[in-house]
Amino acid sequence: MEHEDANTDAAESTVNAALALAGTSLEDVREVPANMDAFLAGIERRAWRMAEIHLGNREDALDAVQDAMLRLVRHYGDKPNGEWTPLFWGILRRRIVDLQRRRKVRSIVVGWLGGGKDDDGDELPSWEPADDAPDPSARLQDSQAYADIVAALRNLPTRQREAFILRIMEGLDVAETAAAMGCSDGSVKTHLSRAMHALRGQLEAWR
Amino acid sequence: MSQHDQEFERRARDLYLRASRDVDPAIAGRLRAARRTALAKPQTSAAHRLLLPTGAFAVLALAALMAWRPGVAPSAPPAVTQMADTDPNDLPPDADSADPALYKDLQFYSWLAYADTPTSSRK
Repeated sequence: MEHEDANTDAAESTVNAALALAGTSLEDVREVPANMDAFLAGIERRAWRMAEIHLGNREDALDAVQDAMLRLVRHYGDKPNGEWTPLFWGILRRRIVDLQRRRKVRSIVVGWLGGGKDDDGDELPSWEPADDAPDPSARLQDSQAYADIVAALRNLPTRQREAFILRIMEGLDVAETAAAMGCSDGSVKTHLSRAMHALRGQLEAWR
Repeated sequence: MSQHDQEFERRARDLYLRASRDVDPAIAGRLRAARRTALAKPQTSAAHRLLLPTGAFAVLALAALMAWRPGVAPSAPPAVTQMADTDPNDLPPDADSADPALYKDLQFYSWLAYADTPTSSRK
């Protein structure tokens, strides 16, 4: 157990060191470690960020990442480590879609059961409690820029958002992105091109 | 790809990586706990994989034991014996060969049969 903890801490410190480097390069985060613990340690925070962008809720994002980790370990732990990256992002993407669908169903049910208003016509508390925890991005030097791009990404259609995050932010190649998204290479290129076009319009101030 | 696009992509990526690095400690701790849980699970599922065939085997063995009980005669023959003990005259008449008039007074014959039965058997 002590040995396992030491391995975990070593994996985390490697990841943190890689990320802490000024101008973290994509190659640092694209290297796939040989063991599952180190792989998950390296990807978990980015996975949570990605889930948070899609779901807009920290708790749901945690649930999605935890479930994706469990499924990867349980069903694909014996696959070669080179396949883990697209598999993990694919599992996480499907989990996010599941949570979004569930949320939609819940909101429909709430609508049927009184439209979210009580007997006096006052608004009932939302099913998704407001996420009032301090936003960690506020600690970023350019938190506003991050908030801008997250807002712009949330305005995109789901498939375009997935393509942009996986291909550009996460740095997967076209084939890996296609595997994670469950579509063809051509579809990835189309979604990405449309995402870029939309984001250029929304983030004109960045130019 | 234009210079602007490349710059845009680089900036978006940098922000994402930095935001991932700066995840607050509470979230980081919960992610670490989630990872440890995920990595601990396979041992449980391996145990489940072993338990499933063992359970199936136990059910099959129990079913076999219940079906095969040495010293107890099969249940079908007693029925045959009972049939053999029955007087052929007690059998209902064959519908094709019986006198059709017989069916007119079925209630009477039923009463007659009941009246002929010894009193002790009626109790």
